[in-house]
Amino acid sequence: MAFQGTEQTILRDPALFYWILFPISVVMILTGILRHYATVLMNTPPKPPGTLAESRERHALLRGVNLRNHGVAVLDRESFEMRKNYLITGFRNGSFLKDPNNRGQPPANPMTDPAGMEQMMGMLKGNMMMMIPQTLIMSWINAFFSGFVILKLPFPLTIRFKSMLQSGVMTRDLDVKWVSSLSWYFLNLMGLQSVFGFILGSDNAANQMAQQMGMANPAAMMNPMQPGQDPDKMFLSEAENLEVMEHFCILDGVEERVLRNFAPEVN
Amino acid sequence: MGALVDAREINGSDLIAALRLSQQAPGLLGNGSKNTTPSSSSTGTAEEYGQIEQLFLACLRTGDDQSAQACLDRLSLRFGPSNERVMGLQGLYQEATAKDRSALEKCLKGYENILSENPVNVPILKRRVALLRSLNRTSDAIAALIQLLDAIPTDAEAWCELADLYQAEGLGAQAIFSLEEALLIAPNAWNIHARLGEILYVGASSPDGARLAGKSVQHFCRSIELCDDYLRGFYGLALASSRLLNTDYESPSDSTAPSKQTAERLHRFALQRLRDIVQSRAVDDQHWASSRSELIAAQALLNRFEQTP
Repeated sequence: MAFQGTEQTILRDPALFYWILFPISVVMILTGILRHYATVLMNTPPKPPGTLAESRERHALLRGVNLRNHGVAVLDRESFEMRKNYLITGFRNGSFLKDPNNRGQPPANPMTDPAGMEQMMGMLKGNMMMMIPQTLIMSWINAFFSGFVILKLPFPLTIRFKSMLQSGVMTRDLDVKWVSSLSWYFLNLMGLQSVFGFILGSDNAANQMAQQMGMANPAAMMNPMQPGQDPDKMFLSEAENLEVMEHFCILDGVEERVLRNFAPEVN
Repeated sequence: MGALVDAREINGSDLIAALRLSQQAPGLLGNGSKNTTPSSSSTGTAEEYGQIEQLFLACLRTGDDQSAQACLDRLSLRFGPSNERVMGLQGLYQEATAKDRSALEKCLKGYENILSENPVNVPILKRRVALLRSLNRTSDAIAALIQLLDAIPTDAEAWCELADLYQAEGLGAQAIFSLEEALLIAPNAWNIHARLGEILYVGASSPDGARLAGKSVQHFCRSIELCDDYLRGFYGLALASSRLLNTDYESPSDSTAPSKQTAERLHRFALQRLRDIVQSRAVDDQHWASSRSELIAAQALLNRFEQTP
């Protein structure tokens, strides 16, 4: 621990800046940009439904949710009850299912189901995109730059920051202000998000662009079902939700409300 | 770029704006092609391509097929001819430039081929419905649309189209059901509320009239509540409330219908607001150019009610 009142001084070769600090930062920024474009390149858009029945299975649940959320704004009691009964019967009978005959069987194993496989592949690709560059750069830094103290912060910090700022330098008495090369790498890894935002435009701009035209109909592409989930179970719970719903209608008394709010002078 | 910003504000029924936009098409497309070589065509933002699509539609409506073709080329260069949305636009272009009925029939055959390969190609499904409708095969169009909605019941646009088709066939109850479904998806769309009110009003001449007229008034009120200077809402409210006043119904039996006194007040309120709107918009004539016909209709309605108070 440093003595109070005395300033630790370490003479640093200015070349440390040009040969360690600067290269690490540049490499981190470049890999960040590269990773962004690699993600865009390898990104597979969600698979659209292949058949009409599959599409119906995906959307039926939304219909129930819409009725629950928006029914009060639109429907009077009679038409609400009609729709509610229709949806509940449909959900219960499984008539919205892609494959009503398969009902009650356990869901396909995501490892053998090609659709689930694809999704997992996508996740795997995303993870690899993060993992591989990180491992490479970290081993690069460990091999070439480990143990260098390259930076002095202009402000004091408490002792807790020592493990964060001085990883790779096992010196107990070094002031926390000093930053080691490995820690500089970690700081870059965590702190460059806003720099990427600045360089690449708002984070995922390119990402969304690729899908924009594909989204002819955003509603049609949406898939509320996660792979491995049993749509039948979700339908049944939605039917239950619908069943306990109490009807009221905001159209009741709307005339008085309009008159009161918009036409006080007509009264 | 000012013109491009305008492109987004174009409303489906606004012919004047569409014309103005399509007149700028050669300039807009020409500027673009100078610095947009095929290799750099991927640099456009999502909005730019949305605007090109708008421009395409405006050009087709105003008969500028050449510019429309240029827009379409630009889009298919960027997104590939097998993109569903581009396929839909391509179909639209072929329909618009078709010379006679047999050419349209050929378009229909083309759609059916596409759909046999991919049955969930939504833009093509919709084009097929529209084409069937323009070939005057309304019942086929309705059947196709029902098939589409069975697969995608969360598409408000399609429900509205279905309501329109039913209404054209005189099937009021079905049209009301379809519009209610559309409203369930977009519960705050004041124009759909007003449209539902209109269809209910049309249906109010049936024996069940009083109840429908009451509901019609409610939906117009809701429409006004959501958008407090919506001309169509006030127009409908004036008509529907006067219908409610003229039918002799017993209000105690039907609790949802407004009382006679409320209807009277609503009627006066709607007429007053209509008068205000007509006056204020007549001053700012240029800005409201596209809705001039609506203003004229509103004025006519006002005159009618003033003659027979």
